Amino acid sequence: MTTLNFKARVPVYDANVRVGDRPEEVSPCRNREDLLAEMDRHGVERALIYHAQGEHRSPIDGNEDLEGWLGDDGRLQPLWSVLSSDPSLAQIKDLHAKGRVNCARLHIHDTIHQLGLIFKPWAYDTLLSWFSDNHIPLWIPLLETENEDIVTTLLEYPNLVTVIVGAHYRHSLWVRPAMKALPNAYLELSRYEPLGEIEALRDEFGVERLVYGSYYSRFIMGPMLFYLHHTNLSDDELKLVCSGNLERILANAGKS
Amino acid sequence: MIEGIKVIDFHGHVGRWDKWVNNYDQKLMLHAMDSAGIDISCLFNTFYPDGTSGNDRAAEFVGRHPDRFIGYAVVSPEMPERMVPELTRAIDELKFRAIKVYPPYTTCEIYKPPWHPIYEFANERKLAILFHSGVEWQNHTRYLAKIAPDYPQAIFVAGHSGNVAEERADAIAGAQAHPNIYLETCSTFRTPGVIEQLVNEAGADRVLYGSDIPVMDPRAQIGKIITAEISDEAKRQVLGGNASRLLGL
Repeated sequence: MTTLNFKARVPVYDANVRVGDRPEEVSPCRNREDLLAEMDRHGVERALIYHAQGEHRSPIDGNEDLEGWLGDDGRLQPLWSVLSSDPSLAQIKDLHAKGRVNCARLHIHDTIHQLGLIFKPWAYDTLLSWFSDNHIPLWIPLLETENEDIVTTLLEYPNLVTVIVGAHYRHSLWVRPAMKALPNAYLELSRYEPLGEIEALRDEFGVERLVYGSYYSRFIMGPMLFYLHHTNLSDDELKLVCSGNLERILANAGKS
Repeated sequence: MIEGIKVIDFHGHVGRWDKWVNNYDQKLMLHAMDSAGIDISCLFNTFYPDGTSGNDRAAEFVGRHPDRFIGYAVVSPEMPERMVPELTRAIDELKFRAIKVYPPYTTCEIYKPPWHPIYEFANERKLAILFHSGVEWQNHTRYLAKIAPDYPQAIFVAGHSGNVAEERADAIAGAQAHPNIYLETCSTFRTPGVIEQLVNEAGADRVLYGSDIPVMDPRAQIGKIITAEISDEAKRQVLGGNASRLLGL
């Protein structure tokens, strides 16, 4: 039964939260306490967070900026940013050596945005091989590169676990063949809202392939969580989408 | 029904759009509506400039569940001779309750004379007109303030409330200046603070919940209203109170 107010009824671990400001976009949460208050408002227990500066210009600086948000209560976990460059990968390797990396978010900045490096195996082999060899799952945002390149490049790394982020209704024709082609890919759901698609993807691919993320603060935190709570997913399935699948992905990091 | 309020989705589509929607199906629409307490979805078909072809399809679709769906009449100034006759037919014979226009499919700005017969018809019949609004050159939200004062009995609704910040600001300014401009909420841009901004700056009595069903699932879009930091009374107005008034329900 729907009411005028909503809070999650299952444990929620948000797989996609951005913190900090972009130069042109001031975050509504000014600090860690603001973010935790927003999470509390929707019943979100934990979140993977990355820094806006890592997305915008420098994963290296963004990861340094991220440190101040993490705290020690375990509610905010790092989703380290990485770019296909030697200094960026070196930073990730250093963090990994300290036992601090169990996931990362790739920033591509390819020719669509007239920057950087197109997502091809010849350009990303060093980075993708390292993540694959070390069994570290990689978050890959759509809209930063050609959809086709995401599939054809990831096919070269069949052991790499990925979380595809930000699929939009304009990706509707792409999502199914991509999920078929990439059995190690999970679909993050923050923007994927064509009619009935979450239940349909559950039926076709299994609930284990779906991961809740809000894409906050680019988008508001509550609506997709509300949506998930008003599907015909069972409570066990809902728990998997809202937290269990992400927990499993992270728990398997580093394991062969 | 949500806590006693009849929930009305003010913005939805009829007609397949296969490149974007895999699951175009009335049963799925009803399932999504039922799952979130949505009583009625307002639907239209914007794909035919003659109006009639799309309106007939919308009538057939709506007619299967007239208690759950309401039709809007679509016409286009690209076929000007058909506008008023088709509006008359759609409202009087098909029993549609409002008008939808999609300016990006046309070749002139919405304040220009080719559009005026639609506004005159709406003014005479006291109908709402739902505009697609946003960055497209035909339908900047600031144009609504140019036309609304000349047709005080018609209701001008900015679909998507302009979608982006600059357009949204103009839509709100229009609503503040003119009592017959309303703002509708569906958008794939779920920017933080938008629902709160619309309600706080234009007034809860001027905001209408819409989803763009089936392009967007109404459960995600109604979640924007339910999870917004606005009062329960404001939610009641946005979710259905305002729409019931405008549609004469």
